[in-house]
Amino acid sequence: MKMRKFVALAAVASLLIGALAGCSGTADEGNGGSAASDDAIANLIANTSGTVSLTVWASEEDQAYTQGLIDEFIAQYPDVSFDIQLGSESESTCKDTVLTDIEAAADVFAFADDQINALVDAGALQPISAFYTYDVAAENAGGAVDAATVNGQLYAYPMTADNGYFMFYDSSVFTADDVQSLDSMVAAAQAAGTKIAMDLSNGWYLYSFFAGAGLELNLNDDGVTNTCTWNAAGGTDVAQAIMDYVATGVVVNMTDDEQATALANGEVSACVNGTWRAETAENAWGANYAAAKLPTYNLAGTQTQMSSFSGCKLVGVNAYSDQIGWSMLLAEYLTNEAAQVGRFNARGLGPSNIAAASSPDVQANPAIAALAAQADYATPQRVGGNYWAPAQTLGEILSSGNPDGIDLQTLLDTAVEGIEAPVA
Amino acid sequence: MASKHEVHASNTREAFANFFKGIGEYFSDFGKAITKGDIGVKLSTIFMGAGYFARKKYIVGILATLFEALFVVMCIFYAAPNLAKFGTLGTTVRSTQFDPVTMQNTVIKGDNSFLILLNSVIALFLIFVFILLWIHNIKRAYELQQDSEKGMHINTFVEDVKSLVNGRFNITLLTLPTIGVILMNVIPILILIAIAFTNYDQQHMPPSALFTWVGITNFKNILSLSNNSAFGYAFFKVLGWTLVWAFFSTFTCFLGGIVMAKLITYRKVKFPKFWRTLFVVTIAVPQFVTLLLVRYFFGDTGIVNSICSSIGVTDFLKTIGLVKSHLTYIPFLTSPGWSKFMIVMINIWVGVPYQMLVATGVLINIPESQVESAKLDGANAWQIFWHVTMPYVMFVEGPTLITDFVRNINNFNVIYLLTQDTFVTTNQQLANANAKEVDLLVTWLFRLTNDYYNYKMASVIGIIVFIICAVFSLIAFSKFLSGGREESYQ
Repeated sequence: MKMRKFVALAAVASLLIGALAGCSGTADEGNGGSAASDDAIANLIANTSGTVSLTVWASEEDQAYTQGLIDEFIAQYPDVSFDIQLGSESESTCKDTVLTDIEAAADVFAFADDQINALVDAGALQPISAFYTYDVAAENAGGAVDAATVNGQLYAYPMTADNGYFMFYDSSVFTADDVQSLDSMVAAAQAAGTKIAMDLSNGWYLYSFFAGAGLELNLNDDGVTNTCTWNAAGGTDVAQAIMDYVATGVVVNMTDDEQATALANGEVSACVNGTWRAETAENAWGANYAAAKLPTYNLAGTQTQMSSFSGCKLVGVNAYSDQIGWSMLLAEYLTNEAAQVGRFNARGLGPSNIAAASSPDVQANPAIAALAAQADYATPQRVGGNYWAPAQTLGEILSSGNPDGIDLQTLLDTAVEGIEAPVA
Repeated sequence: MASKHEVHASNTREAFANFFKGIGEYFSDFGKAITKGDIGVKLSTIFMGAGYFARKKYIVGILATLFEALFVVMCIFYAAPNLAKFGTLGTTVRSTQFDPVTMQNTVIKGDNSFLILLNSVIALFLIFVFILLWIHNIKRAYELQQDSEKGMHINTFVEDVKSLVNGRFNITLLTLPTIGVILMNVIPILILIAIAFTNYDQQHMPPSALFTWVGITNFKNILSLSNNSAFGYAFFKVLGWTLVWAFFSTFTCFLGGIVMAKLITYRKVKFPKFWRTLFVVTIAVPQFVTLLLVRYFFGDTGIVNSICSSIGVTDFLKTIGLVKSHLTYIPFLTSPGWSKFMIVMINIWVGVPYQMLVATGVLINIPESQVESAKLDGANAWQIFWHVTMPYVMFVEGPTLITDFVRNINNFNVIYLLTQDTFVTTNQQLANANAKEVDLLVTWLFRLTNDYYNYKMASVIGIIVFIICAVFSLIAFSKFLSGGREESYQ
């Protein structure tokens, strides 16, 4: 009881101080924020005494660019003394480090959107209930905002919208018509004596066949367990289709690393992969480098469009940060339109910001254009941790042609059992 | 042999008897001190310094009472608040309210189950230590009373302090290591054991969520063989392979080491030093570098596979059925059977040089007289090896062998570095428990904690690994280090 009273008192006191300081504080010229948010920033500046110490985590490749943004951010607020440390943490493993010790994690960190549920579940993300320098929800593409939203609450700032996968191909082997259907791709590759690579023993890519057939994989409301209908009617057809494609000998199961090697030595002339392989593919195929949305595949006689996981990189604010206000402002600065345009120019990452994405430069990039075309068939990645191991095993069994001859329905039933299993 | 076993068994029984007798004496001494002690001793049950004051040891008395006061303060401000929540491990969940105007959170501080658990364990430990010191203090007071009744000299404070650097210097020396062991080993192990009885996992992660006690549910889940428990199925599978691996990895390296050492020390081998150095050099390369390289050599598209397929080994293995017909490569590290075989083989490669060094040392020291007399009796080289060399080597290396076995149960590096990210299980039941055929208990434990935050199951596995290792270590120590062993080798 005592504690609560104290907190309430402190809240009232800080409101009062804030209001008083607001009257005397110097108004800051924000970049286009409303009068109310300008006041809030002015209050924040007035209430800030001493040095504002923040830690930012960005990926190894993003260090130089992010440091530049941080320096600009600091220069915007000459009245405040900042000590902003930039640390290196891959977006793909950020969750692991944050969840190990939330209180010791960075104030502002970049992460891939598939981690958002686990982070929200652990209470690591500050809900974004107000914007100060730009309208995060309106200026970013709908898919990216959805990816940053959990249960109707925005939890992060979209930074890029290029974390999905699509088809890279060598245009000397495939025509633009060929890549519309996996069957015609297989025929063309057979004729040319090359292969089409995909990481089938990986739940992330395997999803494209099942989701394309309209089978569902969803995260439950608890944010950890899954609901999966892959073993429902039609599931065995999908499994059979995958096995049939592998049986042609043209569609091969290769991990991302193996694809990189195979691209370089000319073994494969098409692969399902993401923007991070664009450079490898371009180096391998030169002027023939091309990219397209995923093709349709033959599902028991019907041409069915392959689905995919869309993916974004997001910037989140640590809910345990001592400097929530400054962290939010910095996160906004790292993800605003100018920052996203700069990030595309510096690193070729596809923007989630609508205005930034519509620039001619971005539109001309084959990988990002392919990703945009695939976006109509993509869904944000919303799966719990128990999906990956069973899906990986299912993909491994199917891509090796089901060597033990297990009944396909049983195979799917067991996989779904594992995917839907409670977190033991 | 039979009598030896009996001796051994009676030794164990005696040890147990002594142990319980010791505990009995400890408490009977304490009872005697309280009943027969004078007023000073009796008062020291309440004021720890009373017994010293009665013997005019004022400084020690003040220190003892201060210590007691410190303990009371610790109880009130540290132990009590934490232990009050120990039963539930916290009830209030942290909640925050963001104020868009001040841009600050209003925070209602929640309970942190982990900190409550940690602090409670430390508090309980401190209380336990205090009780021991309290009992000791009363006994000491009674001893002093007896000494003064007998008219013996009672040490002054200065003499007490001096004795800590002279006669009782061992106590001074051992204080720091003991504190270290308690902080680094005892407390973490107690916490680990406690977590096995909670539901500490991804859905119950402090500081934002609470976890609580669930009794022995986790142990039931892992030890149940029923089909609906993927964990139970996986546990016994993984345990089986762990023991098989520990056995093969230990004995292949051991025998390999002896054979290598024997070859190198064989009279007809030229340049023994050169060969020995060559093998020792492999030790100088960090193990993980070797393993990561080897893993690429034996990958599905690795160099070994391309050589094998170009010289026809792959096709030959296919014809005799060792490689499944649909494969175009030998699944050295990707199919369960092949991987297990390769892991043991690769382990021989990285493990033999160490064993060879040890064995060389042992072989050099074999008493020449025994070999000579065996030769005179007409024994051939093979017989000498089995009946003279091996018994001697076993005698010297026996204890190491068992500790190696225990170490191999926990041999994380070889398995993890060779199979992580490349080995995909095709056993769906194992996959449902996030395990793989090639997993050891310890690598499975690592994946559960590192990738799935399943701390409670990891703790359960940790405890089971500990029990297994403890059993083997106990066998090793009682078998090889029991008294009178020096005479047993003739």
